[in-house]
Amino acid sequence: MTPEFIIGCGLIILGAISTAWPSPRDYITRLINLEVASFGLLLVMLSFDETIALLTFVAVSGVSVFILVRVIGKKEAVIR
Amino acid sequence: MITPFHIGLFAVSLCILVTFLSFLKEKDDLHKLILTDLAAIMALFIIALVGTDLAEALILPGLVVGISKLMALAEIYLVKEGIQQKKNSTVLDIEVLDTAPAILAAILVIYGIILSGFSGGAVAGLGIIFYLAFKKHDEKFELIETVSGYAWVTWIAAFFIFLIFPSQWFLAVMLAGGGILLKVMAKFSLIGTMRGDPGV
Repeated sequence: MTPEFIIGCGLIILGAISTAWPSPRDYITRLINLEVASFGLLLVMLSFDETIALLTFVAVSGVSVFILVRVIGKKEAVIR
Repeated sequence: MITPFHIGLFAVSLCILVTFLSFLKEKDDLHKLILTDLAAIMALFIIALVGTDLAEALILPGLVVGISKLMALAEIYLVKEGIQQKKNSTVLDIEVLDTAPAILAAILVIYGIILSGFSGGAVAGLGIIFYLAFKKHDEKFELIETVSGYAWVTWIAAFFIFLIFPSQWFLAVMLAGGGILLKVMAKFSLIGTMRGDPGV
């Protein structure tokens, strides 16, 4: 059992809890807390030597943040 | 004997419980959309725990399907709320969002070409969708159709090489991989044009 695996598991659990119940309950806080969980998943993939999966996950998670920020930006424009 | 697999399984079951509890209490649709992404991460965590080449082979299509699902749901949400044509809020006016798409799209396309095959085509296509969806653009459908036609030709040529000159299998594999790369890329990049612009 490698240190990366233990840290990764911890980050995923913390990230899941903080995404489920974010402290100021708005969209941006939730999105940033989601990054904690995805960083944990990256560490777990690193501990199992899944190189291609790791690289693709980095690419895809960058894109998904952009998509969600675009939607949140339009939604915030309506609320204000 | 406790293996990392068992510890990870315990962690993931805890996380799934947390995710679905928060799903149950959530009423707002956009909050639910973000939680869907969390659920996708949990699913990938379970697959990653297997820790073999099989896991890697399963994660790649999972990621591709996940991102296309997220794109589709985001568009559906925008249409449902009727805010598709709205300008972004000034609170979220971030400089990086204007400049990054071109660079990220280029990185995705190059990485997709290196991967080749189905997932390579999907990653490169994702780069194209990304560019089309975030920049002002005018589509060139003729170009996409022409490229798609050439992809068919390379694919069929690869099959003939397999049948007639089996010793040249490596060339045939490369041709077929390139062909399917172009096919998937062309199909994916079509999604980037459905932004609900009038006339598309």
